[in-house]
Amino acid sequence: MTSELGAGKDIIRKILRLREFGVFVSLIVMMSVFAYLSNKFLTAETMASVLTIAAELGIVTLGVAFLMIAGEFDLSVGSVYAITAMTVALLVKNGVSPALAVFTALALATAIGFTNGIITLKTAIPSFITTLGMNMFLRGLLLAITGGFTVSYPGGYELTMVFAQRFFGDFRLSGLWFLGAAIIFYIVLDWTAYGNWVFAVGGNPTAAHALGINVHRVKLINFMISAFMAGLAGIIHLARFRVVEAVAGRELPLEAIAAAVIGGCSLRGGVGSIIGASLGAFLVGMVRVGLVLAGAPAYWYITFIGVILIVAAIINTKVVRA
Amino acid sequence: MKLIGIYKRFGAVEALKGVNFEIARGEVVGLVGDNGAGKSTLAKIMVGFYQPDRGEIYFEGKKVRFKSPREARKRGIEIVYQDLALVEDLNIYRNLFLGREKTRKLGFLKLLDKKTMKNEAFKLLREIGINVRTPDDIVKYLSGGERQSIAIARAVRFGAKLLILDEPTAALSIRESEKVLEYIKELKSKGISVVVISHNVYHVYSVADRFVVLDRGVKIADIEKKYVSPEDVIDIIARRKTLKDLGLQDMTRE
Repeated sequence: MTSELGAGKDIIRKILRLREFGVFVSLIVMMSVFAYLSNKFLTAETMASVLTIAAELGIVTLGVAFLMIAGEFDLSVGSVYAITAMTVALLVKNGVSPALAVFTALALATAIGFTNGIITLKTAIPSFITTLGMNMFLRGLLLAITGGFTVSYPGGYELTMVFAQRFFGDFRLSGLWFLGAAIIFYIVLDWTAYGNWVFAVGGNPTAAHALGINVHRVKLINFMISAFMAGLAGIIHLARFRVVEAVAGRELPLEAIAAAVIGGCSLRGGVGSIIGASLGAFLVGMVRVGLVLAGAPAYWYITFIGVILIVAAIINTKVVRA
Repeated sequence: MKLIGIYKRFGAVEALKGVNFEIARGEVVGLVGDNGAGKSTLAKIMVGFYQPDRGEIYFEGKKVRFKSPREARKRGIEIVYQDLALVEDLNIYRNLFLGREKTRKLGFLKLLDKKTMKNEAFKLLREIGINVRTPDDIVKYLSGGERQSIAIARAVRFGAKLLILDEPTAALSIRESEKVLEYIKELKSKGISVVVISHNVYHVYSVADRFVVLDRGVKIADIEKKYVSPEDVIDIIARRKTLKDLGLQDMTRE
């Protein structure tokens, strides 16, 4: 009898300690609310549009979360997102093949991540500052080059076919890209030695260094991954809309951090979950679509996200650690 | 291990001014001195964290020069820092194998062999007398003594021949300190050399074979425990007495 009770308690304790607990609760609550407000909410069609919105944010969030767990921020993802899409559009406009344009643009994104990392690690200034500055620098560059105008993608439909084609009802390939990326990130973080180092580097860099882990190298790689993922999301954006605005992705940096935090990542590093961050991005997409279905003005979206962010963060710090 | 004439300067501060240090196999040396005496700097030179500006290091009779902690570790020299040794948010087995994770191949992937790591961690914990339900427990929820023992066990598990403990008992209760000190004695019986850094002589007195006293970057005493009381050592640290005052001769072989 007592042992049964003990086992039950143990399971509850385990559930409460799950990093994904906060986002899971928020997800169920919001899902119930929207299902109550609109009978169109719990349909495949709606879920498809949630996934489409969640995919681009989610791909960015994966990289941002991975870097956050290693103890660093990336606020430049919004500009990297736009500049990568813009690079593809401009290269194709100048006769470069779409495939080469994509590779070049992703290489550029990765190089920006490398620069973020080198500046942060060599000068020891906070990455919050480095990447904030980089975000402004790139955005200004983008506005100057385009004169603030929208650039349209002049090529054929190859890009769309690879990144954003509808393949099953309203479900788009971008959702699969997100899912695939999430699985890869999950395996790397939870099931490889490198993932263990990422946690260690963010949680206790001194201990990690003392145990022979190259702290700077891990961080640098993660800076590059974060920028690469932002670039990939930018290309998906271009493939979906076939245009890119000079201000595209302006809210992305904070949205991605919000999604990661909702999903259980700590701002201090060393703590986080890929499943949680992915669900966080999904939740953000769900709120956006859900409010539209509920007939609420689109402005309310950011208000909702704000509330969810705070509530989820409270659950993550107060309940999960108990 | 033997260090001869070690100098180390940080900007305007001369942390070590020609220090000699020696430790034999299976010996426990208490490295003591006031704050800022140079204890930690000397320890960090032994493990390759810092490189000396001048001076020579010999390990197992061979001259060595460690460019990084990794190189020193390959030779079997490990350091356990106070509080800094474990990653609090990671669980026990991930901490125990940090930097030397066990992996198994799955196609082209090298995945963590969690099962083997957990089993080995469980055995190790039992050996050092820590009762935890599972090696899945997050380190944050363990007591200070348990953490210290786990950190030491990790170093030993990976073949430490010379172990340097930086203030191993500073943050512990008396009962927990005793457990850790007991564990140090066990290491000695296995032939492992241990340098215990402390500014509290009483904490290390029961385990040390010999004391080395540093003061502002200079070694001021090197004496076997049997010749001195804890109070004598404290007097030497405080510079109220010298070995000469106590009628003793310094052990240093120049």
